Amino acid sequence: MSVLDFLKDRLMIYFIYACTGVLLLIFMLAFRISLQTIVILNIIILFAVIVIELWEFFRRKNYYGKLKACLNELDKKYLISEMIESPNFYDGQILFEALQESNKSMCEHIAEYRHRNIEFREYIELWVHEIKLPVASLQLMCHNDNNLKYAEQLRRIDDDIENVLYYARSENAEKDYIIKEVSVKRVFADIAIKNREELQQRNVNLKTENLDVNIMTDSKWLAYILGQLMGNSMKYFSPEREPEIVISIDDLQNQQILHFRDNGIGIPETDLPYIFEKSFTGENGRMYAKSTGMGLYIIKKLCDKLGHCILAESEQDKFTEIIIIFGKNNFLKF
Amino acid sequence: MNRILVIEDDKALCTELAILLKNSGYEVVCITKFQDILQQMLQANANLILLDINLPEVNGEILLQDFRKSSDIPVIMLTSRTSELDEVLSMSYGADDYITKPYHPTILLLRISAVLKRYAKLSPVQNYHDIQVSTVKGSLIKNNSEQILTKNEMIIFQLLLDNQGRIVTRNELMTALWDNDEFINDNALSVNISRLRSKLAEFGLPDAIETRKKQGYILT
Repeated sequence: MSVLDFLKDRLMIYFIYACTGVLLLIFMLAFRISLQTIVILNIIILFAVIVIELWEFFRRKNYYGKLKACLNELDKKYLISEMIESPNFYDGQILFEALQESNKSMCEHIAEYRHRNIEFREYIELWVHEIKLPVASLQLMCHNDNNLKYAEQLRRIDDDIENVLYYARSENAEKDYIIKEVSVKRVFADIAIKNREELQQRNVNLKTENLDVNIMTDSKWLAYILGQLMGNSMKYFSPEREPEIVISIDDLQNQQILHFRDNGIGIPETDLPYIFEKSFTGENGRMYAKSTGMGLYIIKKLCDKLGHCILAESEQDKFTEIIIIFGKNNFLKF
Repeated sequence: MNRILVIEDDKALCTELAILLKNSGYEVVCITKFQDILQQMLQANANLILLDINLPEVNGEILLQDFRKSSDIPVIMLTSRTSELDEVLSMSYGADDYITKPYHPTILLLRISAVLKRYAKLSPVQNYHDIQVSTVKGSLIKNNSEQILTKNEMIIFQLLLDNQGRIVTRNELMTALWDNDEFINDNALSVNISRLRSKLAEFGLPDAIETRKKQGYILT
């Protein structure tokens, strides 16, 4: 709040003051009041005006200065009405109350949306659990009747259902995971068995190195992540080479690094920085397989939530390697 | 024969589960009335119980907690919920394993046989005809002569031996191998089986493993 702007704002008032002064002067001259008295009276009035204006200026400057400083420091600007006090001038108070009310209404509005969002998510989770029953029945029927054709399609349905579930989980702030020691070997074996038919059909060479370690993570989420990575690798194998997937773990002092590497078609260098972005399909997604651009995005979000770091390296026509870095923490052991 | 009690309220799933288990040589009892499940569990005289978590009127986890107060028959929890919390709860209430739907049928069978084996407390040495099978040493012993089996061969032989007299499909053998982190392919399985056959032949049992076309193998 600068003095100049304040003066500009009060221009009309000064104009009225000036008119009043001129009128007063004319009157006083008409009544033949002595010059001395006129000067004294004018000085007194001018002094009063200056004091009034200074007082008005400083109490506003004080209040709005605080407001601005507060606003600059806040990273969530909408909390400003919680941070400031009611001003001691009337027009400010009206504005303050309006701000408070608007904020309250916004909070209610957001709470309603949040509530709806939670309800939707809960419904999705419920639905996923419901739909899994018939899928489980069908899967057993296929197995009992030895029908591999349908089993393959069912596996795809199940994968898509998992995607929905984990997308819903990754989008919400709820903590529905438990971090504990997980045997990567165990989780990976389960994933491999689940995908065995397809892996064998394509004659994929699976190699594991040093998987016999425990890492701190949520086993269900890790299983989902590894399943997605395996699905991706199988989508983008190169027809020129014998397909191969290598999964290994570097067990370092403070962290464990999981490498998931395939010798598929790789990712173009220009696409590589964007592969974890939502709905990004890139050249491979358009050229080779149907891609929704959601898989890696969900994985990235899950990793962020679990506090793992995920990176990708690739060379086109040579390999793709996804690297996940897990932290070690002895306090979490139980 | 091992008797398995299935507690699952989805009828279609329950029927299919019963077929799967019967085909694998188990005796199956399904619960049809969902009142007094605890009583039925205690009276079923089963060797193993498959328990669903979402049951009408009662929660499987609480049921398990009550059941564990008076019995230590192995229980495997089946559930369509996929949260770590359920698993941790189930395990802490005394479940022996926890499998989420939709389950891979062969994984389910593997887990069941693993739990049953753990409870049967089999001695590390089993006998097949006059051959001693030592899982600890990974070898076959007959009259002071010893044949070392590779890890793969041992897994295959063990599975055939556990299911002696029943056809074991290639699919089941593969799952068992993969479950032990031996991610081998179809050809390698055939190679392993023929090696196992020749090792058995040296003990005078050349026809121990029979091939049933399009079905699998059977240990006679």
